[in-house]
Amino acid sequence: MSRMMKAPHELREIAGWMAASNIGFLELRMPGATVRLGRRGDKVAALDDGQRHDEPPVAHRPGATNRSGPLPFDSVTSTSVGVFLHAHPCATAPFARAGARVQAGQTLGLLRIGVLLLPVAASRAGTVAALRVEDGATVGYGAALVELHPL
Amino acid sequence: MIEILSNAALATVQDLGRLGSLRFGVGTAGAMDELALAAGNLLLGNEAGAAGIEIPVFPFKVRFAEDCVFALTGADCGAKLDAEPLLPWWSHRARAGQVLTLGLPQGAQRASRAVLCLPGGVDVPEVLGSRSTQMRGAFGGHEGRALRKGDVLRAADPKRACRTGFGLVPPALALPLELDGLVALRVLPGAEYLGFEAASREAFWAGEWRITAQSDRYGYRLSGTALRPVAPMELRSHGIVPGVIQVPHSGQPIIQMRDAQPSGGYPKFGTVIEADLWRLGQAPIGSRIRFIETNWDEAVAALEQKEAWLAKVARMVALQRSGPMGVAA
Repeated sequence: MSRMMKAPHELREIAGWMAASNIGFLELRMPGATVRLGRRGDKVAALDDGQRHDEPPVAHRPGATNRSGPLPFDSVTSTSVGVFLHAHPCATAPFARAGARVQAGQTLGLLRIGVLLLPVAASRAGTVAALRVEDGATVGYGAALVELHPL
Repeated sequence: MIEILSNAALATVQDLGRLGSLRFGVGTAGAMDELALAAGNLLLGNEAGAAGIEIPVFPFKVRFAEDCVFALTGADCGAKLDAEPLLPWWSHRARAGQVLTLGLPQGAQRASRAVLCLPGGVDVPEVLGSRSTQMRGAFGGHEGRALRKGDVLRAADPKRACRTGFGLVPPALALPLELDGLVALRVLPGAEYLGFEAASREAFWAGEWRITAQSDRYGYRLSGTALRPVAPMELRSHGIVPGVIQVPHSGQPIIQMRDAQPSGGYPKFGTVIEADLWRLGQAPIGSRIRFIETNWDEAVAALEQKEAWLAKVARMVALQRSGPMGVAA
């Protein structure tokens, strides 16, 4: 996330931004140190003295849906920095195609974060209007991945 | 508790193996794909070496007697929980009464053994430091034998509440090793390697080897261009370990696997390195494999690479399980 070691006041500022957002976890990797900030109730605190890692930084929030998106679409958004996959790496058939009816909670794709695979779940029952991101593309936190027509 | 509903021929309880008992004549046993076992355990928050169930024959069915989390790794068997399809290399949650069914392995990277992990590991007694089934000695695992229809197994921590609904990129994709489109295994030349004809040595590395139907947890018998010794070799029985490639008089090699006996007298052509044994453990009968000559330093580096993958899995899964970042309930 940063090439420069952060000063304590900068970390406090970042924690403040984090507290004001709905991000639950943030890993800052700097030369010589890694700092992990996590939500603990309303507060944001350093989780431990992290070490250097070669994984991409992860940032999460609890919800998966941007409900403020313009109607009639509902965008299912990315809960983390990662790689969006249309199908499981062992399979070829995609989880969802445009026009498919899906149930709330149904897996529409996967987010690959290093070795980890997380489901991208339908926020509500509906019809898949479009997959907004290509298979295998790197996405940022909050990116719109799938658009659903609510039923 | 889970109850085995199918004729579970050859499904066994295994951990990472009974190490340190070769001197008593006790083989190592343990999971044929130890990466699948370790990863499945880590998905549930278990120790990497907790006991799981290795399933080599399908269909395989179990019923969950109570609500229970579980993880499926290894071969992608089109698993279903009642009628609901389940993702491979994934942590899941069963409700009391639900039936888990594993079908035939599928997919482009068709593997041969599935692993089912339970919270805390499968609760069987530890014998000589391991919960693995020692088939030859009929001890360890569940009553020292393969599982049968009607067997009931307990998870060591059945009520564990843990986050499920996420998975891993399978190691066959994360740590691939292929040669000309076939699964490849790295081999260290063995003590009697130079006792074989130069043409045989060349053919071993250049040729394809088929895993014959006479292959199981004890050993894999291969079929290919026969390996000929320069002169007949008569050896006294000596210690051998999983991975050793022996050449009997037929010239068709045998690779010792997890249930191998701890000694043998056939000449040793080479040894499949420890870091690649899981690949062999997943290679189906009838499939063809290739060998790549390696050396000590590369073998150690391969082991470190495998351990680094597991460390990454442990770290990322721990974050996902415990942190606020989790998205799946």
